[in-house]
Amino acid sequence: MSPLVQGIVTIALGVGGSIAYFYLSNLFLDKVLFPARGENISRNINRANTIRPWLFLGPTALLLAIYLFYPVVGSFVRSLYNRDGDLFIGFDNYTTFFASDGFQTAFMNNALWALVVPALSTFLGLVIAQLTDQLKWGNIAKSIIFMPMAISFVGASLIWKFVYANDPDIGLINAIRGSFGLESMDPLQVPFWNNLFLMVILIWVQTGFAMVILSAALRGIPDETIEAAIIDGANPFQVFFKIQIPQITTTIVVVWTTITILVLKVFDIVYAMTGGNFDTQILPSYMMQFMFRDDGRATAIAVVIMLIVSPVMIQNVRQARREMR
Amino acid sequence: MKTAFKPSLLALAVGLSSSAMAADLMYPIGEGAFSWDAYNKFAAANDFTGETLTMTGATTGNDAQRYRNLYAYFTEATGAKVEYSGSESFEQDIVIASKAGGLPDVSAFPQPGLAKDLAKGGFIKELTAEQDARIRNDFAAGNSWADLGTFDNGKGGKSLFGIFFGTDVKSLVWYSPEQFEEGGYEIPHTQEELMALSKQIVADGGTPWCIGLGSGAATGWPATDWVEDMMLRTVSVEEYDQWVANDMKFNDPRVINAIEKYGEFVHAAGFADGGPEAAASVDFRDSPDGLFELPPKCYMHRQASFIPIFFPEGVEMGKDADFFYFPPFEANAELGRPVLGSGGLVSPFNDRPVTTAFINFLQTPIAHEIMMAQGQFLTPHKDANLDIYTSDTQRQLGEILTTATSFRFDGSDLMPGEIGTNAFWTGMVDYTTGTDAKTVADAIQKRWDSIK
Repeated sequence: MSPLVQGIVTIALGVGGSIAYFYLSNLFLDKVLFPARGENISRNINRANTIRPWLFLGPTALLLAIYLFYPVVGSFVRSLYNRDGDLFIGFDNYTTFFASDGFQTAFMNNALWALVVPALSTFLGLVIAQLTDQLKWGNIAKSIIFMPMAISFVGASLIWKFVYANDPDIGLINAIRGSFGLESMDPLQVPFWNNLFLMVILIWVQTGFAMVILSAALRGIPDETIEAAIIDGANPFQVFFKIQIPQITTTIVVVWTTITILVLKVFDIVYAMTGGNFDTQILPSYMMQFMFRDDGRATAIAVVIMLIVSPVMIQNVRQARREMR
Repeated sequence: MKTAFKPSLLALAVGLSSSAMAADLMYPIGEGAFSWDAYNKFAAANDFTGETLTMTGATTGNDAQRYRNLYAYFTEATGAKVEYSGSESFEQDIVIASKAGGLPDVSAFPQPGLAKDLAKGGFIKELTAEQDARIRNDFAAGNSWADLGTFDNGKGGKSLFGIFFGTDVKSLVWYSPEQFEEGGYEIPHTQEELMALSKQIVADGGTPWCIGLGSGAATGWPATDWVEDMMLRTVSVEEYDQWVANDMKFNDPRVINAIEKYGEFVHAAGFADGGPEAAASVDFRDSPDGLFELPPKCYMHRQASFIPIFFPEGVEMGKDADFFYFPPFEANAELGRPVLGSGGLVSPFNDRPVTTAFINFLQTPIAHEIMMAQGQFLTPHKDANLDIYTSDTQRQLGEILTTATSFRFDGSDLMPGEIGTNAFWTGMVDYTTGTDAKTVADAIQKRWDSIK
């Protein structure tokens, strides 16, 4: 069968199957299980209506359980086994990790990423959103700042690799150093600071996202409150910090947590720029070292990352729901 | 202006048609110094018309095209199509395929260490007794090559799990004969002379070495080759084997000594272009460029036989670039002249007749010759006609393989993946940028202990 025919058949089966499922299951519910007739007619209608949402939710809930819940549990179970997966070793993978230098470095670096990147992206995004809203050419500025969002992390890394190149003819940093008569150096090998140089890439990409969301939130603030503040004699700083910021706090938190989640997942930048060398390892790139070789340890790191992400994610979802209300 | 475009359009058209032709046979059957007898014999005995053989490997781009050119002969001989797909992340893909199902018929492993893991898991099909005997008989350096492909079969025994196809000689130093002549430098024949020469070049105001360890996520591997070459020149091959098997600890003083011998080149003031910092991050593919600049950024570059692929365009072998053997220590003369090399292992995942025939085909001298004729391919196959090599350089390298007495395989490729393609690499980057050898070696040994 050609792929085209296969595709069409799959779509037909999928769509047709879904329709058939909903039609037949409703039919079964209304005609056989709780028929809308006879002496219990009102009780039957109520019962049928209680069950009906589950008919619709059921398949999705099942799929979610299979594709989301099962792998998480499976990963956790796997992380309790040894390298080959044939020997139960309890929490040994975790204890070995917490004692190892590599893990500690990766953990600390990751913490640094999680602190610096969301903070700076959100801060810059907010400042830029506020400033560009008051400029004539603000939309052009916004477009330019938003543009890096369209670049993949690996693409962005390649661009910054040139900026950081250890060659004054190519690298911006070394060109500047050169103009002051300084020797060229490799920014990615400067201890500690190289981590920040890598973070700059993600900040560069994410500031546009923060700016767009926060700019929309700023515009959503009722003009009356701002006008009232101005009439009462508030200066622009007071308007910004005392009137506008409090009104968009929830959005700021959502942006912040969204970027935090992203930071805890990002690995491409480190992988493409330094490969984790020169003490720039973060947890996901550290996990990559074990993946496909030592599933026990790789999944142990995955579980650790998940545990760190979960609270942030829960907060993010809660906040987003509060927003919707 | 318009007319100026025409010739280039014509060139484009020619280029297109010739690349379309490349799918056909590169060398007409029966012509030239090829072993066509072997081909005809194979063609007569095998008919798999209408079948398809799937193959994966790490080779992509132009390199993969050269292999496809060879597989066209298999198709011509048997009627079976070969579908080769190369992937930059082959090492991961094949592990996933082995766990999720969907293994191809055949794969070319760039590192035997990975094949060893899969063989242990029972995924790779062992070679037939007949194929096994042929490899032992046809390949040079005794049973070396067969032994390198022999692993635990997961059933308590050991079996041969593949054929080495495409090898590289690693103990080479590349240089520019013109520059050497200009500086009045002689080819060194011992490590002591090499060291003296390096110092001489520094004294003359030049930079002796270009070293580049950069290779994306694989950064560091060129330094592992340095250490392996130094191991072979400071300890016996038996000790080298112990090291590779971790019967000799990685933090053994002999290993630390070998690491420091590499350090004498990369850390000495003025030895490496850009210093150790540049060495740690310059891409290994860009690193040799310094040999060909005027004035030269460096005079020597230690790298495997494949490196000319990455030389700048227009570099003429023999005139602009040549190589010499990375010499042994005079002080350790009893160790002889060891050669370090590497190679890709082609392994079958099933025993379909067409799969078996494909491995048989790769064992014929003609398969090796067609690759040799396209350049950038070396083989230890004794029946392959050395005249087929496209240059004297290639021929000399090929002879090193077919006449080698003590040949040792790239140690990092034989070590478990965690070490050979990870801890050793990153450790060498750390060492190059300033961590001391003992600390690095301790860390690698610790990692090795953790996977036992």
